[in-house]
Amino acid sequence: MRRTAADLGFWAACWLALALVVGPAAWIVIGLVRKTWPVLSVDLLLKTTAQGGLQNALFGTLVLAAGVLILAAPIGIGAGVYMAEFASQRQASLFRFVSEVLAGIPSIVVGYAGYELLAIALGWGYSLLGGILALTALVVPYVVKSTEAALQQVPTSLREGAAALGLPRWLMLWKVLLPPALPGVLTGLVVALAISTGETAPLLYTANFSDANPPVQLLHHPVGYLTYVVYDYVQLPSARAHQLANAAATFTLFLLLLLIVLSRLLAARARRRTEQMGL
Amino acid sequence: MHVRQLSGAPAAKVVTALPLRVRGLRVRAGGRELLRGIDVDFPAGQVTAVVGPTGCGKTTLLRALNRLHDDSTGLQVSGSVELAGADIYRDLGLREVRRRIGMLFQRPNPFPQSIQENVVIGARVHGLTGRSGARELAEARLREVGLWDAVKDRLGGNPYRLSGGQQQLLCLARALAVQPDVLLLDEPTSSLDPWATAQIEQLIRDLRERVTVVIVSHNLSQVARVADQVLFMVAGERVEVADVQAFFRHPSDPRTRRYVAGEAMTLPAMEERN
Repeated sequence: MRRTAADLGFWAACWLALALVVGPAAWIVIGLVRKTWPVLSVDLLLKTTAQGGLQNALFGTLVLAAGVLILAAPIGIGAGVYMAEFASQRQASLFRFVSEVLAGIPSIVVGYAGYELLAIALGWGYSLLGGILALTALVVPYVVKSTEAALQQVPTSLREGAAALGLPRWLMLWKVLLPPALPGVLTGLVVALAISTGETAPLLYTANFSDANPPVQLLHHPVGYLTYVVYDYVQLPSARAHQLANAAATFTLFLLLLLIVLSRLLAARARRRTEQMGL
Repeated sequence: MHVRQLSGAPAAKVVTALPLRVRGLRVRAGGRELLRGIDVDFPAGQVTAVVGPTGCGKTTLLRALNRLHDDSTGLQVSGSVELAGADIYRDLGLREVRRRIGMLFQRPNPFPQSIQENVVIGARVHGLTGRSGARELAEARLREVGLWDAVKDRLGGNPYRLSGGQQQLLCLARALAVQPDVLLLDEPTSSLDPWATAQIEQLIRDLRERVTVVIVSHNLSQVARVADQVLFMVAGERVEVADVQAFFRHPSDPRTRRYVAGEAMTLPAMEERN
């Protein structure tokens, strides 16, 4: 009898914990969608924030993400490959330490450093490139880490097989190690994109914000993005501004959801591949 | 390209394989001695089986023979390994050593590339074939190991769809494609079914004139079937090197006698072979 009561209590506690995780998440999603649904219109996608839409912010977010992808992929993957395959143990542990420190810097500090260095010292002003660089600095450690881990998970037997055949290191990397590691590397990249898409702080001082479409330039022009609308427009007095903030939050959420699903698919693919090799 | 058939032994045997000579080979890991000064000759064109209890250093020895320990930190190798008079640690470059002394592992390890690419990748990187000769080379090696009929319609396919035995044959084709002088086999059939095992054993015997073979095996009946000479090791030391007949019939060391006696079923295999 006492045992049944203890079991029941345990299960109740587990369910409560689960509800505390799922509940708020569901509440946020449902609340946002319900508030956004009535104001959802093509105008949101076609008009700039100055005109009461989100076109420039959505576009800015996508361009920033593309920029992060272009910079963080080669830098992060290159560094990860170097750490996993070429660095001595001392080099690798030093490098890993630096990377972890970088990952631990609060995003607002990254933004402020970007402001001092890029906007002021280099005289770029508020700029697209400044925003991209700040976000890149923030997410590169994740790409490094996931690349390194993906390469380390490649079965030793493949490495030995390539070594025993006399394949040079670069060819071993390209033809033997990278194919099975690729899904893991891509997963890290997608997670990095998701993190950068959800950030506001690194952009405040570097890209700042623009409620219209800036000219096509990397420097000297502030750029709009969704998370700024969420951050700033809630504080404005008009109902339309609140609706925009809600819509921007919903868009951000769905972008993130998309990226998370993508990373899940890639991870599942990675697992399947390794199992298939049966090594 | 000349294609050898599996059956039908050539009339005159011309041995083109090269001998491997090992002197004072030691491998240390930190303070531990994994190999304590091994002296052994692997004669050209013969199959030498390396046997001994688990942990006696068989695999450590095998990996020292193509400098695979170079890649693991913390292992020190000393002594000499000479391939036809050239020391593989001093006189030859690492990649040349790896090309001339090939290796087959306990479990098949095809690369995540197409079946054809698996066979030709080594040959191409060592400059033994161009892009145009790739298919021909793949066909010749795959025929040689008896895998051609099974894979000829899916050369661009995934090697992991093959059975374990077929994967190991593919790895053998890959190792043969770089024209090695010596082949090191680390329990190559321990994960395979009897049919694939028989096929690999037949290939080992057929390959002898061209490559000197060193095979680590736990299976004494396999040793009786494929080996010409046996190296018996205990605790990182050479106990004896003997002709395969002598090893099973008149072992000179009591430790060998005990080891062989523990595996009585090897004798019928010997009778059959004679």
